[in-house]
This record gives sequence, C-alpha cells and structure tokens, in this order.
Amino acid sequence: MEEQKPNQQAPFGQQPFNQQPFGQQGFGNPIPKNWLVESILVTLFCCLPLGIAGIINATSVNTKYAAGDYSGALAASQAAGKWTKIGFFIGIGIFVLYILFFVVLGVGGAMMGSN
Amino acid sequence: MKPLLYIFVGILLLSLTIVYYKFDPEMYSFFPECPFHKYLHLDCPGCGSQRAIHSLLNLHFYQAMDYNLLLVLSLPLLMLHGVSKIYHRLTGLGNGLKFWYYPKTPVIIATIVILFWIVRNLPFMPFKFLAA
Repeated sequence: MEEQKPNQQAPFGQQPFNQQPFGQQGFGNPIPKNWLVESILVTLFCCLPLGIAGIINATSVNTKYAAGDYSGALAASQAAGKWTKIGFFIGIGIFVLYILFFVVLGVGGAMMGSN
Repeated sequence: MKPLLYIFVGILLLSLTIVYYKFDPEMYSFFPECPFHKYLHLDCPGCGSQRAIHSLLNLHFYQAMDYNLLLVLSLPLLMLHGVSKIYHRLTGLGNGLKFWYYPKTPVIIATIVILFWIVRNLPFMPFKFLAA
C-alpha cells in the first residue's frame, strides 16, 4: 500500500477522493477542473444545449479521475472547457447581435420617422 | 488588467440587473429570444430564464418557478458555490465545494437537465407548469 506523502498531495490541502484506488497512476495529482458549474450556467442562461455537452464531459472528468485515469480526465477536462466556452461565446454573440440589431433598427426607425 | 476586467464585468452585471428589474421580457421586444425556441418552437432547459430573472428580481417567486423551475431550484446551489468560492479567495481556507467532483454529481445533474428538457415540452397538464 502506498503511503501518501505530503508533497504529493493536491494543492490547498485537498485530499484526493476516498474512492481513489491505491497504487494507480495519477495518484496524488489534483483532479483537473471539470467545468461543471460553468456548464450549468451556460445551460441555464445561454439558452443553448451546448452546456449539456459540457456537463457530460464533466461526468467523464470525475469518473476517469476516480478510476485513476489521470490523462483521460485531463483530456475530458479540456473538452469540457472547450464546449462550455463555445456555448458561452455563442450565447454572448447572439445577445450582442440582437441588441445591435435592435439599436440599428431603432435608430433607423427614428430617422425615417423624422423625415 | 485583471482589476479593470472585474470592474467592467461588475458594471455590466449591475446594469443588466437594473434592466431585468425594470423591464418585463414578456412585454418588451428588445430582449433576445432563444434561437432553439424561435426555430424549433420547443423549450430548451434555459427557456424562460430572462422572464424568471425579472420575476425573481421583483420577488414574484411563484411566477419565476412557472417560467423556469430548474433555474429557481439551481439558484441556492449556485449561491452556495459562489459563497464558498469567495470565502476561499478571501481567506485561502477551504477549497470550494467538494461534491462537484464526486463521480455521480454530473451524472445526476445531466439526468435532471435532460429529463426537465423532455418533460417541459409535454403538452398535457402536470407538465404544462414546467413550460416556459
């Protein structure tokens, strides 16, 4: 059984999870960011099902890490980040375009009205 | 650079809060409509969020739940997350909420979101409340 050394522990004193099997690769690496909260926010506010892709990738971050597959968890983390960011920027883009369109229409309408 | 960004985002959020407090997205047309709803005429899990935020800011909780139940139910969790993040940032103690990293958490959340998505589009009574 491997003993946990202080310098192998995750930062901020977080213990790797209890269900982590002993002696597997990746042991002691902190779990990569799973983007779960961000993907929930994208799902709820950006109005795009892309957030769900983020949530599903967050699932594989957590399960792969718990199974000791650190590199798999890292890849899933990057995929989750990618989908969440795409969803976020598409959401922001649509919002800004819509506001711009409305402003242009409003200014145009005001000019037409004044003529 | 970073503090400037925070100030900018803060001002943006504050002004959005004021806009969503003052104007009801049901009444005014300058709020963007969800593309999923516009083209497919179905509700996505986020449909009704703007109206729900307007209702929440005006303390109409029942109305907000009618627009988007998932948003209202997730708010306490998100607030808890925000508080624990701020606490961690200010004091260096704690590490945020651990349960986001349990293997089962994202599975449960994905199941809830997808079920909510399907069920809110069913056109008969117990589920009509869930529609946006």
